[in-house]
Amino acid sequence: MSSRTRSRGFDALGLSVMSNAVAMIAEEMGTVLERGSLSPNIRERRDASSAIFDSGGRMIAQAAHIPVHLGAMPESVRAVMARKPAPGDVFLLNSPYDGGSHLPDLTMVEAVAEGSRIIGYTAVRAHHADVGGMSPGSMPQGATELVQEGLHLPPIRLAPRGRLDDALLELVLANVRTPAERRGDLEAQRGACAAGAAGWRMLLAREGPSRMRAACDALLAYTERRARARLLEIGDVEGRADDILEGDGVSDVPVPFALRLRVRRGTLSLDFAGTSPRVRGNVNTVKAVVRAAAIFVLRSLLDDDVPTNEGIGRPITIATPDNCVLDARWPSAVAAGNVETSQRVTDLLFAAFADAGVAVPAQGQGTMNNITFGGDGWTFYETLGGGQGGSPKGRGPSAVHVGMSNTRNTPIESLERSYPMEIAEYTIRRGSGGNGLHAGGDGVLRRYRVLERCTVTLVTERRTRAPRGALGGMDGAMGINRLNGTPIPPKCRMELAPGDVVTIETPGGGGWGAAPAR
Amino acid sequence: MTISVGVDVGGTYTDLAAVDASGRVATRKVLSTPADQSEGVATALRALGAAPASVSRVAHGTTVVTNLLLERKGARVALCATAGATDLLELRRQERAGLYDLSLHHPAPLVDAAHVVAVNERISARARLIPLSAMEAERVAEAVAALQPDIVVLSLLHAYADASHEAILARAIAQALPGVDVVCGSTVLPEIREYERTATAVAEGYARPRVRRYLEHLGARLAESGYPEPEVMTSGGGMLPAREAAGRAASLALSGPAGGVVGAAAVLRAAGFGDALTIDIGGTSADAGLILGGEPLVEPGGSVAGVPIALPRVLVETVSAGGGSIAWVDDGGALRVGPHSAGAVPGPVAFGRGGTAPTVTDAHIALGRLDAAELSGGVQLDRAAAHAAITKLAKQLGAAVPRTAEAIIAIADASMARALRRVSVERGVDPRACVLVAFGGGGPLHGCALADALGMRRILVPPHAGVLSALGLAIAPERREAAQSVMQLALSMKRPAVAGLFQQLSRAAAGRMQKPRIAAHARARYAGQGYELDVPFTARDTGATIAARFAALHVGRYGFTLDRPVEVIAARAAAIGKARKL
Repeated sequence: MSSRTRSRGFDALGLSVMSNAVAMIAEEMGTVLERGSLSPNIRERRDASSAIFDSGGRMIAQAAHIPVHLGAMPESVRAVMARKPAPGDVFLLNSPYDGGSHLPDLTMVEAVAEGSRIIGYTAVRAHHADVGGMSPGSMPQGATELVQEGLHLPPIRLAPRGRLDDALLELVLANVRTPAERRGDLEAQRGACAAGAAGWRMLLAREGPSRMRAACDALLAYTERRARARLLEIGDVEGRADDILEGDGVSDVPVPFALRLRVRRGTLSLDFAGTSPRVRGNVNTVKAVVRAAAIFVLRSLLDDDVPTNEGIGRPITIATPDNCVLDARWPSAVAAGNVETSQRVTDLLFAAFADAGVAVPAQGQGTMNNITFGGDGWTFYETLGGGQGGSPKGRGPSAVHVGMSNTRNTPIESLERSYPMEIAEYTIRRGSGGNGLHAGGDGVLRRYRVLERCTVTLVTERRTRAPRGALGGMDGAMGINRLNGTPIPPKCRMELAPGDVVTIETPGGGGWGAAPAR
Repeated sequence: MTISVGVDVGGTYTDLAAVDASGRVATRKVLSTPADQSEGVATALRALGAAPASVSRVAHGTTVVTNLLLERKGARVALCATAGATDLLELRRQERAGLYDLSLHHPAPLVDAAHVVAVNERISARARLIPLSAMEAERVAEAVAALQPDIVVLSLLHAYADASHEAILARAIAQALPGVDVVCGSTVLPEIREYERTATAVAEGYARPRVRRYLEHLGARLAESGYPEPEVMTSGGGMLPAREAAGRAASLALSGPAGGVVGAAAVLRAAGFGDALTIDIGGTSADAGLILGGEPLVEPGGSVAGVPIALPRVLVETVSAGGGSIAWVDDGGALRVGPHSAGAVPGPVAFGRGGTAPTVTDAHIALGRLDAAELSGGVQLDRAAAHAAITKLAKQLGAAVPRTAEAIIAIADASMARALRRVSVERGVDPRACVLVAFGGGGPLHGCALADALGMRRILVPPHAGVLSALGLAIAPERREAAQSVMQLALSMKRPAVAGLFQQLSRAAAGRMQKPRIAAHARARYAGQGYELDVPFTARDTGATIAARFAALHVGRYGFTLDRPVEVIAARAAAIGKARKL
């Protein structure tokens, strides 16, 4: 028998069952988190992920609802392992520079104890609605230092050997705007970690340590094999792409990005030479987020059934120049990097693959269209979908989140009951997708009429540079932001009076292939 | 006039179960007739051989709605929507169809943009911002008439709270288009959230004309032979006379699977148990369900064939693992089972109908677990062919035949176990405290392994496990429902208001029924949250007692309470007749 189907006593016959068993544990962690969490952002928009790791810190399974968390948590577990955890220790962290992404993402890691040994790790990352800092929501506009963005936590032992350190929790809660909600969400995260630990212990007891080790090897090797097989099928190719972000958050000067992508013998190497140095505003991001974007793009090239584990990232290497916007270091601000720069990296990868001759979709809207209204005693935040790029398979879907986000919209009727606002229009922005053999998807138009004095904060992209078409397809339409009919900047904060109307038109996706001549 | 008959139409077989006054059960299985399901129903009744005059009721589970949604063969619908909100069906809830497959589209809406008419009117949460004028209603009616629709659906913003504009428009359209049915969103689903309400109302319009024709045809056919008017099972486990069911087409979308869980619940109660997980294993898929306190769990929401239908439905989670699921080796070298299925035709290799791919059923045969020469429905088993197919796969994997067969079954078990855990754990139910009811053709074969995997200690394999849905239909009581929007803080609802609400809903639900039992639920949530729980209530409740019950339910389901007011968004009542005893 070839080594292809047999891996140290654990063979192809057991793989599906084992893959199901570990995925089920990760999925149940997600269920426990959603059931126990207080905030709508975790419970309904599902901005959270859970994963299990073996004793060597290898990620065996992840339940991700939102791609920006894909494969980003191994860094968290490594950061915890570097602190020599005791069996049963539960750590909390959000440091972008030590296992995290941006500050609102609080990651909890439990060192799973079996007697006096650590047999694995469970980790849960959730986007919290506030972690302090200079503005409510902890996604400040105009921040230039990390400490402005909220409470900064390197991996701390929140529960040594499973016993909660109350003083430490009080310290965390004393630094956020909504302590009760945070306490509830953190408790839900602990519950989810514990549920994962129980599931992992049970599986290990059933299978035995040596068979389980073989199973983990086989699962990671299997996913890696599927990923490499796809890259081998692509062949040895090379592609380049460049792009910009429309401002760093404090100025409108474009931030350049460049990528050289190479596929060689089943590996994918990414070199970001030519990309902007670190910037003053908060579109900087850490390498773990760049890696998540790379894994997402590779994942989208694979069949849907490939199990999500650390094996998928093995063929990928990433190089960034010194002092790069994609390799943020203390004290850089990073809040917007996670939401917008991650989208740009995704766009770069797709564009470079297209340049290399690989059949991938044209660019999608490339932004999450972050919109926050805030008035006396209320804040409303939402992100808007737009056009997906056309692809070799067909027209790009319209009015969806592309790339690293996939959160739902807020129903008009719910919004109007809860906030002093009316949605005067919410429609498909017809014709905004780029024309082509397979046209890009259309963006959306959303018109808000405010009924009280308040402010609006916009963090949007693709307002000056359109999502590009591929292989002769036309570009998608750029997004437009307006106040009472007059265009306003992509990133801004404006004071509004009752009756003012803010209109957001989100970008369309690029077209794929030249449209047939009429 | 003593025999109650249930007829369940599935993709392959039409099952019949008849229960007489003494509780004796007779069953029949005939081939389905997809082109006209009523033909199979009539054949099954003939096969039973009972005198039509001795049959007191014919209860029917149908896949007519499911199929027309799957095949997109419904009516030509014109949709009238508030100007500025005409694209709701395309916008959905903004989530994409595939997290990683970026070219994947949601199924196209049942109404395309060219058949949506914008109405210049606007009701907000606070006021009528733009009143609907008689002139505008007339203009819309003319525009609708020009589209020559089979049926018209009206769904305006905030109509759950104020249905006056829909009513004005409905009258204008009825005048302009006599004889064309008009469906109002505020009637089909009087609840907040415009997308779900509109999509449900459109599904109703899309399915109604064809469902009405089918049920009239079925009724006429049965009447010819002297049978009573048929009754139809709803997705929520209710039972409606065919005439009424024809006007509630969207509520029949999961008629079939609901019958299975209703049947399982009846058997469970008869055996003296209360809480159970159910698994119904058929040829192409397995349905997992949950029974609490002897009643199937009914929840609103879900979608059928990509069409969201936010009406109450018996909880059923379907996984593509069944007897016909195909075993194969993927390009990573792993043995896999499903999602492709050989279905009934060509079916497993052993059926000898041209199937060549090894299936779960073939694995059972190779292991000697299925040793009958013939299955119900007259299928002859070719054991040698099944064995050969598994052997071929085993060679490809370099493994022994029995190990390969066992692995195939274990993989199917794993995905079914995952579905069972999901339906229970997501609702705070510990599977170990439940009985496993295993039915459908494959239920008894997989029950023990599933119970082991979930730590369950009791398995109930009901008699007539292969036709349990039909049995469920035969014994299910009549059950009619009514709903209305409430949108009030619970604490502001005094006792007379609650009693009034209960009475109003009870009357609407009961209709002509004689002394039904009433089960009413308030859909409540913490103000500002986007998810609700169904809280049982009676005429003796106050808003305060409803809020307290909500909090207790919330603890059971989610493990905590919030320091926020409780809001009742809507209320429903079911009027339930007497169930037949087994």
